[in-house]
This record gives sequence, structure tokens and C-alpha cells, in this order.
Amino acid sequence: MIKNSAKIQHLYARAGFGIQLRDYDKRGQLSISSLVKRLIQQGKHPNLLDEQDYRINIEELKGMTKKEKVDFRKKMMQETRMMSINWLLDMAKAKEQVLVEKMTLFWHGHFACEIKNPLSTANYLNTIKKHALGNFRDLVLGIARTPAMIRYLNNQQNKKLSPNENFARELMELFTIGRGNYTEQDVKEAARAFTGWSSSLTGDFSFRSKLHDYGRKSFMGRTGDFDGDDIVDILLERKETAQYIVGKIYRYFVNEKGHSARIKALAASFYESNYAIDKLMTTIFESEWFYDEENMGTRIKSPTEYLVSLIKTLGISFDSYRPLMGVQKAMGQLLFKPPNVAGWPGGRSWIDNSTLMLRLNLPMYLANQGEMNFKVKEEFEDLQEGKSLKKLQAKLNTKELEKAFASYEQAELYQQLCDFLLLTKNKPPYSVFQSNFQTISSWNDVSTYALKIMSLPEYQMC
Amino acid sequence: MINRRSFLKQSALASTSILIPAFLQANKHSSAKNQAKKLVVIQLSGGNDGLNTVVPYRNEVYYKLRPTLGIPKQEVLKLNDEVGFNGVMKGMKSIFDEGWMTVLNSVGYPNPDRSHFRSMDIWQTASDADEFLSTGWLGRYLDKQPNEPTPYHAMELDDTLSLALKGKERKGFAVGNIAKLKRGTKNPLLQAVAGHHDHAHEENVAYLYRTMANTFSSADYLYEQSKIYQSFVTYPNHSFGKDLKQTAELIMADTPTQIYYVSLGGFDTHANQKGQQERLLGNLASGLQAFVKDLKANDKLENTLIMVFSEFGRRVKQNASKGTDHGTANNLFLIGGNLKNPGVYNPAPDLLNLDQGDLKHRVDFRQIYATLLDNWLGSSSADTLGKTFKPMDLV
Repeated sequence: MIKNSAKIQHLYARAGFGIQLRDYDKRGQLSISSLVKRLIQQGKHPNLLDEQDYRINIEELKGMTKKEKVDFRKKMMQETRMMSINWLLDMAKAKEQVLVEKMTLFWHGHFACEIKNPLSTANYLNTIKKHALGNFRDLVLGIARTPAMIRYLNNQQNKKLSPNENFARELMELFTIGRGNYTEQDVKEAARAFTGWSSSLTGDFSFRSKLHDYGRKSFMGRTGDFDGDDIVDILLERKETAQYIVGKIYRYFVNEKGHSARIKALAASFYESNYAIDKLMTTIFESEWFYDEENMGTRIKSPTEYLVSLIKTLGISFDSYRPLMGVQKAMGQLLFKPPNVAGWPGGRSWIDNSTLMLRLNLPMYLANQGEMNFKVKEEFEDLQEGKSLKKLQAKLNTKELEKAFASYEQAELYQQLCDFLLLTKNKPPYSVFQSNFQTISSWNDVSTYALKIMSLPEYQMC
Repeated sequence: MINRRSFLKQSALASTSILIPAFLQANKHSSAKNQAKKLVVIQLSGGNDGLNTVVPYRNEVYYKLRPTLGIPKQEVLKLNDEVGFNGVMKGMKSIFDEGWMTVLNSVGYPNPDRSHFRSMDIWQTASDADEFLSTGWLGRYLDKQPNEPTPYHAMELDDTLSLALKGKERKGFAVGNIAKLKRGTKNPLLQAVAGHHDHAHEENVAYLYRTMANTFSSADYLYEQSKIYQSFVTYPNHSFGKDLKQTAELIMADTPTQIYYVSLGGFDTHANQKGQQERLLGNLASGLQAFVKDLKANDKLENTLIMVFSEFGRRVKQNASKGTDHGTANNLFLIGGNLKNPGVYNPAPDLLNLDQGDLKHRVDFRQIYATLLDNWLGSSSADTLGKTFKPMDLV
């Protein structure tokens, strides 16, 4: 029988980035359903970025020399990188809005998109956050209109006389219905429906009617003068779309192995609800099977999930963000820079000898114990080349943690901290932990124990 | 008789055996049938300008489209009546002259992508241009091994692992510097939990533990292996040269690693190309010359095959910044003592028959991969690449 408190912890691990101390203290009294309700409700009003802050003056751009333009692009790229760090820190800071942050991270992997300028980034992130727990139709249509995705999948080159199929193809293959449910002809016809969907120099969506193909299209057995919205509607009318999306959500939030009967049932109600994401997530988090042993502590954290959990628990602040970017890159996940439109494959693909050792040693590096001395692969058009990571230049604030566990010592302290930090069923016994324990001079026992426990492979799981 | 080499090998095994659980030790001595054959992949990152590497020195179109960037005929190291190496590549010219090199022209793939990242992924995963694979071709080769290979069966000389070496079930081993790798494993707590295997793990946790234990045992083993052979050949003192020296020393020590992966970056020469590219090509040639000399002197050249590639070539026409922009097809080099067709394999690219200013590919790179997999690594290319490609007469 799994205790309610363990269930609450599991819920926070999957719906967010791990339970916070203040909730951990109350975990015995919380009820699953009220907590789920709260997470969903709070996610309805996400914190959005003010897109005006990221607008650029087009006139200024026009008078630039070639070199100034190159420098400008570089600056834009750096600012975008900064935004990716800020998002990571926002995820760590979030107290109430953890679910919407987690869902946004999921959708970013689903609608995977590399972005190189700040306004497009803000607009793309806002679009996802607005609909992350809303309606899937609004989300797809919103994404289809983001200049970020339009640029990434070349839809600005999709013109009546020379259609570009890139967006239409990925819309079907990766964003909605999935491979095997459409023909090459469907791709061609859908591409025609999205002709003229473009973005302006200012970074806004623009519909260029002169480039749009207003002719009749035959798509998935239907004929009409469809535009992009119609194509999305026809795709969503197909039950395979609900099935595909639910399958992906199940494998991300519940278990990477999937479960065909549950996915089928969830997909049916998702379809019935007209693609209401909040209802789907409520059903998942409230179901008995979500809390089955096989689903708890069995998911390998993505680099983002791992870093966020680390930053949250240790109260980390960074003096410089460059090393943090290096760490993200070395671990294989830079936000707004997925490997390709299919997103990050996840699971065991995160882990090889190099990424694992970096993860396991990171808590000690953060405590400034030992030099990292880690070389990050060169980037082509990016900020810097072949740089070495040495120090993380971070400060830890573990006061709260120390206060919460101050009354425990040794074996009991170990047990209590393991319960708080590790979600796996098995944990290394205290005898093994303690026999190889070296104190970190500048830290008290609670912090030292916590740092060591966070170095264990078990901490990589959620 | 125990000589120094076998003694060190034994003690290397002895020292690691303290740490590694029995199920791993069993694999230590397993040697696949084609283990003796080595493959060294050299990746030129950034898109090397192939036309200024293998120069079509008799082609007027070349000099017309590259009025200032073209390599003057008198500087070219001639390979035949048509093409020759850039003058800075003397080391590679000498390898070529020994009959240890095959130069392939116009290697690429259909619907070429001009993004570095995407094109590199295509080369590393061996996918079609419109297909997204999350495993690399050498990683899938590891997956297909009938017996559990050593953790370092495929090794990348770098701190991070490239997609090329990531399989679904198995992965290559990244090691930028062996001593540093060993230092990184000196965490007593992790050493202790790695040795503590008497409780059942959920399978993903078990995967983490296995990867950790493999890393520790490999770090110790490779550290000992790296001390067995000290190369007497002088390698150039740049990081590429050092990587090749490390590779050579591991090969000479009979390390059961079959695949080595080495990168040389910086080829994205949009502006002021000449100095930058020639410095890199010079490093490439001098490094390879020392490496091949070392292998030859130790009777290892016959069983070693080196493949040098880049994710794409560059546009034929030079740009306004004395550089070149992203292009398509490119040349590729195979080096070894056992080549079926040393020399220039196929004609230089046809500069009068371009696709919007870019070269058309004549050889799909996956034909080369397939040939290497089938004829050199003794694997099945159809399984590893997911389809069949027309084999070539290379090895």
C-alpha cells in the first residue's frame, strides 16, 4: 500500500519539478484531488512575458552595415540564450505554477522549434503557456501562427506558385496525427492551404493573401477551398490525433513504456472533450494507476528537469550564466535549440558515460568541490568555440533545508533526506553511504548529506 | 614468459576487477570475429571547403568562380591530371603516394540540407534528408553486436559523445583525456555504491548503475592501457595530433576498441577562408602523416581504416568576404593499408552541371558506410542502415 504522502511527492515530481519543502511538511494532510485541482487552476493564469520588451526598431536595422548586422544577429542570439536560462530559472522559482511550466516544457519538446531571436522566443513561449492547459486546437493554431515556427519550418517560403511542404508535413507527422495516417498527396494539399502564412520583419504573424492559394483542395477525403485552420480542424476530427497526443503525454507523464488500454480510454475521452488538455491531465493525475509502483521514480530526468530540481532544492544562484549554458549543452538539452523538429528523444538517450558522470559530479562542483575541467563541443555559428568549463560560479542557499532537517542525525538524517530527495523504491543502505562519507569542510551535516544524496544515481530519477 | 606488455595488461585487469561486478568482467575478454579490424572516423566539423582541398587545377570554371580564393595551379600537389591537394597537405600527399589512400569526389545525399546541425545529424544518423533518427549509425552497429561488447568498443576522443555513437541499447564511450576521466571517477561515495549491487534495481536505475560501473572500470582499464605503448613517432603539437597519438597508443596496446571517433573543427569559413582553412588542412595532413607512420611501423596499418568526412562542402562561387558559404556534396578520404582502389576513385565534380550553384552528389555517403559495415566491420549494413545501398569497391 503506497502512502498518501508518497503519492503527493510523486505527483509533484511529475506535474512539477519535485516537491518543495513547504509542501513536503504538509504532505500528510493534502488530498490528491484538491491538489490536482489547485495545480490545474493556477495553471490557467500563467505568467507571460511582455512581448513589447523584445520589439526591435526596424528602421535602425535598415541603416546597418554588413558588420553591424552580423553583430546584431549575434546579440539577438545571445539574448535568446539568456531567455532560455531565464525560463529555466522561472521553472525553478515557480511555486504555484509548476504544472503549467512542466506542460510548457513538454509542449516545447512536442512543437520542437529552434529560435534565434528574442521577440519570436517570447511570442512562442507565451503561445504555449497560454494554451498549455487549455484546448489543443487553440494550441496548434497558435503555434502555426508563431513567427518562430513559420521561420523554423520555412513556411515563409510556402507560396502559391512554389509551395513548401515542410510545415504541412511536420504538422501531420509530428504535431497532430502521426506517421502512417496520411498520404503524400495530403501533405501537398495541406501545404497549399498554408500558403501565405508568413511573418513580417517586425516579427508578427502576417497573412500574405497574394501568395495564398485560394483554390480547391482535396484533403483526407474532403474537398473544399480549405485554409490552414480547416486543415487543423480536419486533422482533429480524426481520432488518431487524440490517440497520438495522448500516447505522447502518457509516455512523458506516466511511463515511457506506454499502456495501450489506458491510452485508448484516455484518447476517447480527450476526443469527446474536444481536446481539453486540463481535463485529460486531471484524469491522469487522479487515476489510481498513476500511483502504481511501476510508475513511481522510474523516469530519468531530462537535463532541464534535473537542473531545475537541483536549483530548487539547493537554492542556487549563479554569478555567471555562461557555465550553466555549457552544462546544459554538455548534458544535451538547450532550450529553444532542440536537435531537430522531432524534439529530444528522452529516456535513456540522455545518458552516456559522459553525461552521467557530469550529472553525478554536478552537486559537488556546485559546492565548489573539485574542478570540472570539462570541454564542450564547438558550436558552429554560436557564441564561443570549444570552451572549457571550469567553475560553476554559483552560490547555494541551504538555510531552509538545514532548518527542516536540523533535528536529525546520521542514519536518521540519511533516511529522512532520502525520503525527501529520492523517489526510487530502493536506496543505497546507510552503511554504504556512511562508510565512504567525507565531510565537506564548509558545510554542515544536513547540507553535506543532501549534496551527497543528490550525487547518487537514484537522484536522476523522478 | 611474461613481458612488460602482458604484465601491464594483466595488472590493468587486476586493478579494475575490484570494482566491476562479475557480469561485466565476463565481457572483458570477449573478442568479436572482426575485432582486429579498426575503424577511425575523422569528422571535419563546420563544412570543409572540398574544392580547395582537392583542387580541380585544370578547370577554368573553378578559377572563374573563385578569382581570389582559387588555389593557384603551381601550389597544387597533383594527384592526377585533373585534381591535386591544397599545397599545405604534404603529409596527405605522401600517404597518397604510398597507395594508402582513396579519394572520393562528390559524396553527399539527395535533397541536401545546408544547416550544419541538420546535415551533421544526417551524416551521423545516416538518415534521409527528411527523416529524423535519434540513433547514430555506429551506435546501431553496437546494438547489432551479437555479444555484449566492451563499454569502449566504440570510443570518441572527446568529453561529450556524438549522436553517431549513440545506439538504442548501447552507446559509445566519450573520453577527451584518459587521466582526466580517471580523476572524474574518484568519488569514494560513487565508487562504493557502484560496488554495492546486491539489491534489485528498477530497469532504468539499473541502466544508470551499469553505465556508472562501466565508466569506472573503463577509466581504470584505459588508464593502464594508455601507459603500455609510448609512441616514438613525433606527432604535431595540436589537439588533433594529440587525439591521434592517443588513438595510436591505444591501438598499439591491443585495446579491444574497434572504432575511434575524432573531430577537427573550425571549417566554417564564411570570411577570410584561406588562412583558416589552410591552417586546419595543414593540421589534418600533419596529424594523419604521423598517425599512418606510427601504424605502419607497428604493423597496424593493414588492419586500420581511416575515414575522413565533413557534413557538407561549400558553394562553388566564392562570396564577397573572401570566404565560401554552405554547400552540398564534398570529397571523402579513406586511408589504410588494405584498400582495394587506392588513388582518385571518381572524376572531379562537374562544375558546368550545378544545382543552383552547388555540386550534385554522385555518391551517397551511405554507400560508403554500407561498404565499410559489410566488408570491413563484418556487420550487416541493411540491418544497421535500415535499407540497402549499392556497395562500392573500396575495402
